[in-house]
Amino acid sequence: MFSLIRNEWVKIFKRSGTYVMIGILLFIVAVAGAFMKYQDVQGSVPPNEQWQKGLQMEIDSYQKELENSGDMLPEDVKESYEKIIAINEYRIENNISPNGDYEALSFISDMSSLIDFAGLFMIIIAGGIVASEFNWGTIKLLLIRPITRSKILLSKYITVLLFGFSLLFLLFIFSGILGLVLFGLGGSEPYLLYQDGVVKEQSMILHLINVYSLSSIQNIMLATMAFMISSAFRSSSLAIGLSIFLMFAGGQITHLIAMKYDWAKYSLFANTDLFQYFEGTPMLPGMTLTFSVIMLIVYFLIFQIIAFIIFKKRDIAG
Amino acid sequence: MKAVVKIENVTKIIKKRKIIDSLSFEVMEGEVFGFLGPNGAGKTTTIRMIVGLIGISEGDIKILGNSVQTNFEKAIQHVGAIVENPEMYKFMSGYQNLLHYAKMSEGITKEKIMETVEFVGLTERIHDKVKTYSLGMRQRLGLAQCLLHDPKVLILDEPTNGLDPAGIREIRDHVRKLARERGMAVIVSSHLLSEMEMMCDRVGIIQKGKLITIQSVHEQVEGGAKEYEIDVDHPTEAMFAVNRLIPQQQAEVKGNTLMLRAQKEDIPLLVKEWVHDGINIYRIQETTKTLEDRFLEVTTLQKEAE
Ligand SMILES: Nc1ncnc2c1ncn2[C@@H]1O[C@H](COP(=O)(O)OP(=O)(O)OP(=O)(O)O)[C@@H](O)[C@H]1O
Ligand SMILES: [Mg+2]
Repeated sequence: MFSLIRNEWVKIFKRSGTYVMIGILLFIVAVAGAFMKYQDVQGSVPPNEQWQKGLQMEIDSYQKELENSGDMLPEDVKESYEKIIAINEYRIENNISPNGDYEALSFISDMSSLIDFAGLFMIIIAGGIVASEFNWGTIKLLLIRPITRSKILLSKYITVLLFGFSLLFLLFIFSGILGLVLFGLGGSEPYLLYQDGVVKEQSMILHLINVYSLSSIQNIMLATMAFMISSAFRSSSLAIGLSIFLMFAGGQITHLIAMKYDWAKYSLFANTDLFQYFEGTPMLPGMTLTFSVIMLIVYFLIFQIIAFIIFKKRDIAG
Repeated sequence: MKAVVKIENVTKIIKKRKIIDSLSFEVMEGEVFGFLGPNGAGKTTTIRMIVGLIGISEGDIKILGNSVQTNFEKAIQHVGAIVENPEMYKFMSGYQNLLHYAKMSEGITKEKIMETVEFVGLTERIHDKVKTYSLGMRQRLGLAQCLLHDPKVLILDEPTNGLDPAGIREIRDHVRKLARERGMAVIVSSHLLSEMEMMCDRVGIIQKGKLITIQSVHEQVEGGAKEYEIDVDHPTEAMFAVNRLIPQQQAEVKGNTLMLRAQKEDIPLLVKEWVHDGINIYRIQETTKTLEDRFLEVTTLQKEAE
């Protein structure tokens, strides 16, 4: 099994596309770092002792907006306004300036939005890892050795996971090192977390762990779906295209459906974003963390079962 | 000799069409078995079933006593095969391809890999990327790949496809050597008859998914008398001389060509006689009835029967 995984790993890293992906990821981090260092990206808040006034002005303007057109605003816009107001109020009350030192951990946190990018690359690998063997005709080589088809497929799936984790690890380490070099290690700014109308403080490290692990779940689910399509339909473009489309649009579509129908909560994309239980509000009433976890497990098993059954049964012809 | 591969009444149905119809044959240790048939006869399909790439609708295939259906891993362990074209990872070098493949079998050392590379004559280019290889080099690499784990059964689907005469000859020599020296049972498919004749011990002819006949290639030679074609300027007179010298054999005139059946020793006697009679001889050629003739004979008979 180990040597099979190593084989898959070698095949991924013998292709230039892989390095392009990694290069893009690191490049974006580097550019963002340079930008933040040399471009003074400050918020709308004055950088001096006046920050409280600035925040208060922001609160007032959002509040006015809410009062004037509160009923016309979409639910999520309204919520985001309320969140800004609550966090600003918390800052003023507890004397936490938004102009605190920008340091390595803040940079990692800002760069964590690139986890989606890593997910994208994970999908590309997952969508290609089985289908490409069919395209190249090399699937024949793999299947005429004394190794069961399930083992071949499993080794490929594990490789996809390893690749995904490696990308996240790389992202974390690289943004950490770059953050340290550019911004140094500052005092520990807490992360302000807003849920159910209450603001809570959370240590930055804990926040980062949360972000990385919860985002991984979404990446894994989408990659598993791409992997399933790849092994069931032998088409990497279908697997990659559909998965990426759903990655970007799946949430929106589910949101639209959720406005009218309650069954939207059974959709995969209503459940991939587990942040809704830690920050913000669940997409639909009645959804709980347990519900989502069970749904995710069910989807995961369905994807795997389809992939394995079809791959095992299939006649390899042509 | 022991039967290594046993095809037992195998049928393959794809989309309600019988692609292979109750096929049965055996391949012995140290034997080169030719699998001959026109395009679309079902050669590749049969090979795919032997190596477990596609399922078997009816019947069974056993390799060294292990069924490929119920005991696949044991059965396939001793098989090395190229199905259709030798497919490789083009973005890796030949050596990396072999290493990749070696990792899927137990205990193949780097020395073994290099030894195999040497055997197929690819040492010089083995570290180049496969995408820079010619077709002939890819065939060699494919052969090396099948041989890495010292298989007892070697299956090559149209191994000479696209090769030049030198390449064809080389493959032929390799195949014969592997069967003779290493006792492998070799199955070679082709639609090139002349080639089968030179490479194989026995040839099974398949058409439309049915095995029509199995022939020993060297049967004819053992008979003694051979067919000859002789171009002369006076064929009729030449035929009289034949009738005088070897009355037991019949001769026939076709244009300026004399067709006859004779023992090898009769030929110099005949030549002396013709020279004595003042007949000019332009060409003497042995025309053993080729497998091709037999193949066409059999397949046309088959067609007429329909
Ligand atoms: N997956 C498939 N679906 C439907 N028909 C198939 C399939 N695979 C093969 N066939 C049919 O089975 C028959 C035998 O095909 P096969 O490839 O075994 O022929 P072959 O003897 O190898 O021919 P060639 O000399 O051209 O390689 C053909 O008529 C082909 O159309
Ligand atoms: Mg074929």
